[in-house]
Amino acid sequence: MARLNEDAQWIILMGFLVSFSFFFLAIIINQSTVVGQTTAESVIEFPKNDIRDVRQVIGQSVNLPNPTDLTVVRNDITVLSMNRKSSVVDYTYITNGNDTRILIHYNNGVTEYNENWSYIKPTA
Amino acid sequence: MINADGQLYTIEGFAAALIMIMTAYLVVNATSVYTAGDTHISDMQLEAVGSDALTMMGTPTNTTMYLTNTSPLRMIIESPGSLPNATFKAMFLNLTNSGTGVPSVNDNEVNSTMKYIQFTASYTCRDMTNNVTSYPLSYSRNLTGGEHTVRATKWVIVNKKSVQLCGTTNTDRAVLVEVLLWRD
Repeated sequence: MARLNEDAQWIILMGFLVSFSFFFLAIIINQSTVVGQTTAESVIEFPKNDIRDVRQVIGQSVNLPNPTDLTVVRNDITVLSMNRKSSVVDYTYITNGNDTRILIHYNNGVTEYNENWSYIKPTA
Repeated sequence: MINADGQLYTIEGFAAALIMIMTAYLVVNATSVYTAGDTHISDMQLEAVGSDALTMMGTPTNTTMYLTNTSPLRMIIESPGSLPNATFKAMFLNLTNSGTGVPSVNDNEVNSTMKYIQFTASYTCRDMTNNVTSYPLSYSRNLTGGEHTVRATKWVIVNKKSVQLCGTTNTDRAVLVEVLLWRD
C-alpha cells in the first residue's frame, strides 16, 4: 500500500469549506431571478387597473344626465365584462331620499372584489 | 517487476474522472429554459404604461371637457373618422413613448420611424340582443403575429347623439377600449 501523508488534512478541509460556500452562492444567484419573476407575475395577475376602471365607470353611470340610460349602460358593462374580460361585473344602485348606495361585485376567476359604496347625494 | 505502491492514487484518479464525466453529462444533458426571469417584469411595466396612457386619455384636459363630462378618448370614439384615427395615434404614442433618450414625437416619426412602443386599438360595444361587436379604432403598425403583446383596457361612456351606435341613438353607452401594445 502507498504510504499516505496525513499532514495537510486541514488544507483539504478548507478546500471543502470554500467549495461549499461557492455552492450556496450559486443557489442564491439561481433563486434571485425567480424572485423577480414571481413578483411581476403576481402584479400582472392582480387586476388592480381593471377594478379601478370599472369602479370609475360605475360611478359615472349612476350620475348620467339622463337617468333612464343607466339600465342600458349597466347591461353594457355586465355583458362586455363577461365577453371581453371574462369577469363577472354586477352592480346595484339604490337611492332612498338623499341616501345613495352602490353595491359593486367583481370576480375575474382569480380575484373577487365586493364594495358597498354609500354616500349622501348633495341636494343643491 | 511491477511496482504496486501507487494503486490507491490510481483508484482515486479513476473516481475523480468518473465524477467529472458524470458532472459534464449532467450539464450537457440539462434542458435549458429560454425564459429569462425578468420577461414578466417588462410585461408588467408595459401593461402599466398602457393603462396609465389610456387613463390619461380618458381624463378631461380642459374646463369645457369637465363641464360637458367628456374626454379626449370619448371624443375620438364619438367621431372616429378614417382608420387609423390620427388623434388617438399621436396622443397614445406621445404618452407611451415620451421619456429620457426617446426622440420627441413629431408626425413623421409617428408615421414611419417610431421605434419604441407600438399599438393597435379597438373598441367593443353591445347591441340590443347582447351580441358583442368590436370596431378597429387606430393602430401604429399592423400585427403580424410575431409580436409579444400585452393588453390594456379602458371603459368609456359615449353618446353618439343621432348617429347609431350598436342599435341605439341618443343614448349613453358604455364601450370597452382595448389596446394591444408591444415593444419594437
